[in-house]
Amino acid sequence: MKGRLLKLKEAHKNNGVSSFCSILWDLQAQHLVTSSAADSTLSIHDLSHTSKPPKILSHHKDGVTALALSPNSTCLASGSVDHSVKLYKFPGGEFQTNVTRFTLPIRALAFNKSGSLLAAAGDDEGIKLINTIDGSISRVLKGHKGPVTGLSFDPNSEYLASVDSIGTVIYWGLCSGEIIHTLKGVAPDLYSEDSVLNILSWSPDGEILAVPGLKNDVVMYDRDTAQKQFSLRGDHRQSICFLSWSPNGKYIATSGLDRQVLIWDVDRREDIDRQKFDDIICCMAWKPIGNALAVIDVMGRFGVLESTIPLSMKSPTDGASSLRSKNSNGLLLFDEEDQVPDISGTSSDIGEDNFGESEPVSRKRLRKKTEFDDNLDENTNDHGALLPMVEVRKKGSLNHKEMLIDKNDNLGFRTATTSQRLKMQESFQPGSTTVQAGKRHFLCYNMIGCITTIEHDGYSHIEVDFHDSGTGPRVPAMTDYFGFTMASLNENGSVFGNQCKGDKNMSTLMYRPFSSWENNSEWSMRFEAEEVKVVALGTGWVAAVTNLNFLRIFTEGGLQKHVLSINGPVVTAAGFKDELAIVNHASHCLPSNDQMLEFKIFKIYDATQSFCGPLPLTPGSCLTWLGFSEEGQLSSYDSKGVLRVFTNQYGGSWLPIFSSSKEKESEKNYWVVGLNTSKLFCVVCESPDTFPPVTPKPVLTLLNLSIPLASSDLGAGDLENEFMLNNLYLSQILKRIDEMSASGFDTTLLDDEAFNIEAALDKCILRLIAACCNGDKLVRATELVKLLSLDKSVRGAIKLVTALKLPILAERFNGVLEERLLNETRGTVGNQNPTSGTAFAHVAHKALPAADQFPSPLFSKHDKEEVPAKVGGEKKKTDSVVDMGSMKNEAHQVNLHRPSNPFATNQERQERATAGRQKMETDGVVGPGKTKDGENQVMFHRPSNLFAKASSIDEEKAQEKAKVGGQIESNSVDGIGQVQFHRPSNPFAKASTNQEGKQSLLDSIKKMKKVDTLGKR
Amino acid sequence: MAGQSDPHLSLFSSAEVEFLAEDETVEIVPNMKMDALNFLCGDYGPFYPQITTEVPLWLAVALKKRGKCTIRPPQWMSVEKLTQVLEAERDSPREFQPLPFHYVEISRLLFDQCQFLFIDNSARDDIPDMYMVRSLIEDIRNVRFHKVETGLETISARTHAVKLKNLSAMEVNIVRPFVVRTLQAFYKHDSPQMIQHPDRMANRQPQVADRGPRRDLRRR
Repeated sequence: MKGRLLKLKEAHKNNGVSSFCSILWDLQAQHLVTSSAADSTLSIHDLSHTSKPPKILSHHKDGVTALALSPNSTCLASGSVDHSVKLYKFPGGEFQTNVTRFTLPIRALAFNKSGSLLAAAGDDEGIKLINTIDGSISRVLKGHKGPVTGLSFDPNSEYLASVDSIGTVIYWGLCSGEIIHTLKGVAPDLYSEDSVLNILSWSPDGEILAVPGLKNDVVMYDRDTAQKQFSLRGDHRQSICFLSWSPNGKYIATSGLDRQVLIWDVDRREDIDRQKFDDIICCMAWKPIGNALAVIDVMGRFGVLESTIPLSMKSPTDGASSLRSKNSNGLLLFDEEDQVPDISGTSSDIGEDNFGESEPVSRKRLRKKTEFDDNLDENTNDHGALLPMVEVRKKGSLNHKEMLIDKNDNLGFRTATTSQRLKMQESFQPGSTTVQAGKRHFLCYNMIGCITTIEHDGYSHIEVDFHDSGTGPRVPAMTDYFGFTMASLNENGSVFGNQCKGDKNMSTLMYRPFSSWENNSEWSMRFEAEEVKVVALGTGWVAAVTNLNFLRIFTEGGLQKHVLSINGPVVTAAGFKDELAIVNHASHCLPSNDQMLEFKIFKIYDATQSFCGPLPLTPGSCLTWLGFSEEGQLSSYDSKGVLRVFTNQYGGSWLPIFSSSKEKESEKNYWVVGLNTSKLFCVVCESPDTFPPVTPKPVLTLLNLSIPLASSDLGAGDLENEFMLNNLYLSQILKRIDEMSASGFDTTLLDDEAFNIEAALDKCILRLIAACCNGDKLVRATELVKLLSLDKSVRGAIKLVTALKLPILAERFNGVLEERLLNETRGTVGNQNPTSGTAFAHVAHKALPAADQFPSPLFSKHDKEEVPAKVGGEKKKTDSVVDMGSMKNEAHQVNLHRPSNPFATNQERQERATAGRQKMETDGVVGPGKTKDGENQVMFHRPSNLFAKASSIDEEKAQEKAKVGGQIESNSVDGIGQVQFHRPSNPFAKASTNQEGKQSLLDSIKKMKKVDTLGKR
Repeated sequence: MAGQSDPHLSLFSSAEVEFLAEDETVEIVPNMKMDALNFLCGDYGPFYPQITTEVPLWLAVALKKRGKCTIRPPQWMSVEKLTQVLEAERDSPREFQPLPFHYVEISRLLFDQCQFLFIDNSARDDIPDMYMVRSLIEDIRNVRFHKVETGLETISARTHAVKLKNLSAMEVNIVRPFVVRTLQAFYKHDSPQMIQHPDRMANRQPQVADRGPRRDLRRR
């Protein structure tokens, strides 16, 4: 192109005055339309018959400043200095209508992608969006401070970009009509220039907005953020006044005030070609088919630059977006069939309507194109390629943006994609990230450390890092000749596995302990015709699941200990101490696109399976993480952001304890690393990233667990959440205590923890009670009181409601307290510990038949003052009998302090209590059944232990008493233990005033007992 | 400017101001596990690897020196934020942008003590960030100080007080002696009976008033 001189042909007489001229092609590259701001006519040049004079349309009264052709080339719009916007049929050129009028000259026009909207703007203050179907103005966008000179609809129909002559660019949201971004002073100030206008243009794929910059360059702005991405800067010595994207978006043509036209390769960001002209080129248009650029200068002379792009390079239309195929006959008004205008059509419907008709249109067009092939021999290649290309683009856009797609038109694609989506999820390693070329990625990331790998010259380099550099062992980096694709890490070692690549590379499993007394303690296993899918690691064992659905368990030293078959293709696995959890596919996906997964928990040491069942997932999601909490609870996280933890409640079920959608920052993705009882450890990634990069080192964020509770009328969601979490935690601890005591371990630490949680739970319940009282939910408050585990808390609750002036409630609470004290002394409440089950209730009743030998006191009066006396009396009675099995008695009584089953209503409990009493009455047996005692002893090993501690704290008092009583009696200690179970570490500082009352109560009980014991002696 | 050239006129040396700034808190990411530290100034920690926690700058620097943590640059120390601040500083000649009171000292400490702060926290190709941040802070400082200078030029006999909003510790430390003395000098020249006043004030603020007049006398 260099050196060639393009001869321009005069189209409009500008009389020597330079003025802005426009030029554009029609879709088939058959016609060129030109206009000039100095000429009131516009010309349609038929290129197939060059001899014919151009068709002249002279409807405007003044110079034509703007031209726009609807995307399907059926409608031409022109704007003029005479303030009007006119529509014509194309290519015929019949005048249709004055679609709108302004009060000042028009400067810019643009059709949207479907042709349903025409944007017009000029020296007036607003941009008008005109519905082309009925000519109504659907919106006026105001915000520019100067004349608007450039308009461009985003090809994806989300935004409109506009630029004014003082250089401000505004992104408008088409749905809202609001300003999305304003970029001030980014384009040159061409206010004083009258022959050229500021311009801007979206790239054909809509990802980039090109705007002339201040430094004689073109600046590319991001579609969504409006951030500057890069700029094209080269040989323009003055500002750029026009730019045009090639149809495929690979090239861009710019013309500057320095009378040059430059062609740029956008990907390489460099200019490929340039052409000098005698005058400023004020408008250009790429030929839609072929390799040519039409230009027009400010004197109204136009020409076509043939083979603009060197033949050695890709054609400017090669891979062009299917602009044409997507366009449609939204312009019913100007349809070639002259259909009746769609009256009901509003601008919002159009988007849907026009797709419906796009199929026939595109077929029609294709027919036309084939006609065309005969005439135009220069671009046959492009034509041939066009059809498949169109489809590719469609598919791409479907995946990329959820666009409005008509059912008829794209049914084929949709079914294709859904069938693709229905795939069963691949196996993955928890805490791994996907392979990124040239970058390190995680093979494993957990709370202990991470294993990263990077491929380099055919080998991989694996690094093992511990988060805690102080205590963790230092592991040298390893060159990996196997190409490991999965790994797992714990304190003792790391295990690696690779999939087989081709025939040569066998699948390998390798274990590297971090510290061993033996020097060469790493081992590896090779699998013939079998492929490792998932690896897991625990204390003293290594597990690998293969594609043959074998679960292979090795010892730390490499002994092959077990090979099991599992039910389906493995998804993932996780290990923790002696527990191994495996998730596999149970069946093919449901048509609703839900994965069917099941899990199993194995105990490796005793070779048992502790649980199995289906793994729940949020509908339409897949599993993304599986692991154990720090306490050893199996947890899962799915792609919809729901974290579930497995509990033994309800016979083993999954509780959702976190939902990312409930978090405030919904833009973030949470990459789960681990959790403990109250916090979730995760790496927060900005959307759309779903996983963190290796560098910078990800930082863990702590998030509070939050059960997805319904928003209750109480407005105390946080408290309710805390309440449920504490309950969950408590049940977990109690389960562990039971397990440990069953196997004969010391549970003191856990007991302390359990007590602390109970205290915290009580605190939480008290606050909930306060919230209930304030919200007038008195029944709920009464229910809550029954859930309190400590007597002291109940008294605190009574004080609270008294302070809140709710005497009815206070009376009810007193009743609860009385009942509780009564039950305590009788030891007949049973079944309060959710883990011990109903069977225990009967055992408890039978073990304590003593209580019903005496007539139970009548609680006819709900008088608070009488409580101590009654309790004392009650105590006397029990004590006298309890001598024989005082230890058991203690156990039961202490056990009463466990939170009652939160879902058991008071009625139920009363029934049970009375039932128990009746039973005892009928029994009438004195003396405990020895066999049952044995059971009880095992069961209540822990509580008695707890009691021992409590009593040791109260030693002083006991000794004091001993002095008075002259001798230490087992049941005197017992008595103290029963009543003064509360630890000195009182979490209820507020309720401390209560202690006085309690103290006196205690004293009275003690006195009674002393009298009793002395009397007995 | 008088106070600038002669460090003795500053009430605090810059090292002292820096010392005060070390009480500001920053976020660190420890790489070791440690129980909470109970200091007179408060409890910090507990420290868990890879989980951010907030500690005073001096502790952060001490841990960093031992390779026990990485310091996360504060929010305001990003290129974007500082560019904004710089532009705003340039655009508004009469007011100062809100920055941390000790921004000069904090940035200096972080740059000096932890040269690899930015390398640690970001990929190697982000090193330009560090230079960028450094030069931006330098620019902001210069712009602000220029503003202070031009502002002080307007002090006249009618000025009773100078109000400078959002001025940072280091900046105020530099101009304080000068401003105080200027105002006193104006008072003195304006009305002889007012000379007593600052003297009486001197009892309450021994450092400020004491030094000013005496030096004036000596110089004369």
